[in-house]
Amino acid sequence: MLFFSYFKDLVGQEVTVELKNDLAIRGTLHSVDQYLNIKLENTRVVDQDKYPHMLSVRNCFIRGSVVRYVQLPPDGVDVDLLHDAARREARGG
Amino acid sequence: MSGEEDATVREPLDLIRLSLDERIYVKLRSDRELRGKLHAFDQHLNMILGDVEEVITTVEIDDETYEEIVRTTKRNIQYLFVRGDGVILVSPPLRTQT
Amino acid sequence: MSWAGPEDIYLSTSLASYLDRKLLVLLRDGRKLMGTLRSFDQFANAVLEGACERVIVGEQYCDIPLGLYVIRGENVVLIGELDTEREELPPHMIRVSETEIKRAQKVEREASELRGTMRKRMEFLDFD
Repeated sequence: MLFFSYFKDLVGQEVTVELKNDLAIRGTLHSVDQYLNIKLENTRVVDQDKYPHMLSVRNCFIRGSVVRYVQLPPDGVDVDLLHDAARREARGG
Repeated sequence: MSGEEDATVREPLDLIRLSLDERIYVKLRSDRELRGKLHAFDQHLNMILGDVEEVITTVEIDDETYEEIVRTTKRNIQYLFVRGDGVILVSPPLRTQT
Repeated sequence: MSWAGPEDIYLSTSLASYLDRKLLVLLRDGRKLMGTLRSFDQFANAVLEGACERVIVGEQYCDIPLGLYVIRGENVVLIGELDTEREELPPHMIRVSETEIKRAQKVEREASELRGTMRKRMEFLDFD
């Protein structure tokens, strides 16, 4: 639940989602669910020339299982809060 | 439980809990390695790392000689969420000097 | 399982806001399907009506009609809404026939297979 809650708080911020097939998409985080499926708005593909079929896609749903990384905005990371949450999660709380 | 850290190690993930706020090494699928400060993790080994250096190792085949050319690409990312299903291993910092 | 009520479908991660829209579905094997979303579930299984596969090889492309498709969610990478106000493809791309695109696809595949077999042959030589 830690990361589900974390991403919910991040809604509205700009992120870059990198997929396991190397496609990287930047956009505004619109929503997230318990599987960490992600919806992005105002998207643009980082390497657009390599993915011409993505040209007219402006918002999308990404299946959580295909995500490799999410690059997070620096002001969207509260380090102390995360440490506490991770310890609580480890305790099974 | 009081506010102080429980230093006992009973299961593998306890070692990762003790690495919070420390720099760790993470080996991932598809020949990727990360070094960064561990800020959060869960039981799937999803993680948030800070001040990350990613190293990607690629093997290319030369068109003419068909020789293998090994290349490493590095990049730095300030904060990164890593999905746990790509993680092969996590190495906590060495504590020999403490 | 929690289901979003009709009033918050636009705030949820469900595919409900994409119903009856023209979509691009990227699959794990790299294929690109297009069509209108008629149904979905919590696994991202999806029903596409009027589906076609968009095959792109270099600057050439072709849309091969497929009909009604039920896609298994596990194979879905991404579902994107196609903005009808925008060009779907860059202007320099050329539409070709199904026969031509399949020929181009075959050439591309054979080239990459050749690289693969040459590499294997070289690895074999290394053991001599």
